Amino acid sequence: MNFRPLTTLLLALLLTACATSAPPPDERDPIDPWEPYNRNMYKFNRTLDKALFRPVATGYEYVVPDPVETGITNFFDNLKSVRTTVSLALQGRPADTVTSMVRFTMNSVFGLAGFFDVATRSGVPQYDEDLGQALAIWGWEDSRYFMLPLLGPSTLRDGLARPAEAYYDLLWRKAVDGRGYGIAWDLIQQRANVLDREEQLEDAFDEYLFVRDAWLQNREYKITGESATPDYDAYLDEADWEEDPD
Amino acid sequence: MIGSRTIFATLSLVLAAGLAAQTERGPVDIVRETTNELFSLVDENREMYENDIQALRDDIRPILLDEVDTLYSGRLVLGRSSRGMEREKIEEFSDALSELLIRRYADGLLDFQTRDQVEIRPLAGDNTERMTRVKTRVQMNNGEEAPVDYVFRKTDKSWKIFDVIVEGISYVTTFRNQIGEQIRQEGFDATLEKLKQGEVEIEVDDK
Repeated sequence: MNFRPLTTLLLALLLTACATSAPPPDERDPIDPWEPYNRNMYKFNRTLDKALFRPVATGYEYVVPDPVETGITNFFDNLKSVRTTVSLALQGRPADTVTSMVRFTMNSVFGLAGFFDVATRSGVPQYDEDLGQALAIWGWEDSRYFMLPLLGPSTLRDGLARPAEAYYDLLWRKAVDGRGYGIAWDLIQQRANVLDREEQLEDAFDEYLFVRDAWLQNREYKITGESATPDYDAYLDEADWEEDPD
Repeated sequence: MIGSRTIFATLSLVLAAGLAAQTERGPVDIVRETTNELFSLVDENREMYENDIQALRDDIRPILLDEVDTLYSGRLVLGRSSRGMEREKIEEFSDALSELLIRRYADGLLDFQTRDQVEIRPLAGDNTERMTRVKTRVQMNNGEEAPVDYVFRKTDKSWKIFDVIVEGISYVTTFRNQIGEQIRQEGFDATLEKLKQGEVEIEVDDK
């Protein structure tokens, strides 16, 4: 594939900082100091998504029967067990590490190479862990929001973790070696799985902020395993509110 | 002997009934009862609702509004923007916002086949007398489980829901930044108009 037009488009987008609606630096959310860049990159990703990935995923979903799609999702999830297992070990969770290995073995052996998720049906829990989460546990807790080209929302921490992860993540390893069919298929399947969230995006007041805030909150939940209760009291900003004026 | 035992049993029954009437509905009861009520509604009229989503919205609106503190959610979302604002404006905004959530809720509700897909957990963790969080687990159709939590506050009258947190994503928090940015750019009135228009457009789309 010839990537030159893509690169040119990318550069053009990054250099034209004018079209953004990001607030001035001192008014930005501290978690997103690179908002102008991120907004541009989001726009780029979304344009490409609408023009290419979403139509492909829609066609894919139309053609492939639902049970097969579930099987394929299971198959790729099973391959990601390797990444998950490594991350769990690095986080110092030996029991979960073993569970994750058991899971991988069960599904690979009894689930036709992972096509059937027999482990979940037997009550073995599923984890979704990566190197970025391990880094967060090691102390790099708050990392600035960083929109990756093509891959979408991330943080600086998680973005930097990805190349390292590509060494032992089976699908990415293949892709690095020049055989990207697996990862391409996985990405199309993943995109097909979230096609029904399109309406939420379209409904959003500010799609960029909606995606950013939802993604960051969900990421926090994945790292800590607990979703924090927002500091609601700090949200209220009224000196003299009467509960019931009547 | 038997007589006194019967009297005792009757007495304790009466006492228990009296106590039950006195204890108000706790947040967990509210989630359980409301979930049951909504699922019964969908079970009975699924076919109709699938053709007429507006009817579902109209039917669940009173059920949800009874349990939700829309004004408080609206104030949380507005935050600093509501400073010095007339009360009616804030109420108008809160109503428009809750309408948006009812719409979203109605769409999501039809995706579930049975109420067994919702598991309500007992209270645990950081609950106070004024605020509490009811955790539920929702089984998605693809077999995965998603945590859906309802955040309650104690008002003068009863416990009311004011936020929903799905997989760690809070509706209040997520709306807050977007609305804040919108107000910063276009002002409050234009934002309110947009919020209301969203409803109108959708309603037209359905017909």
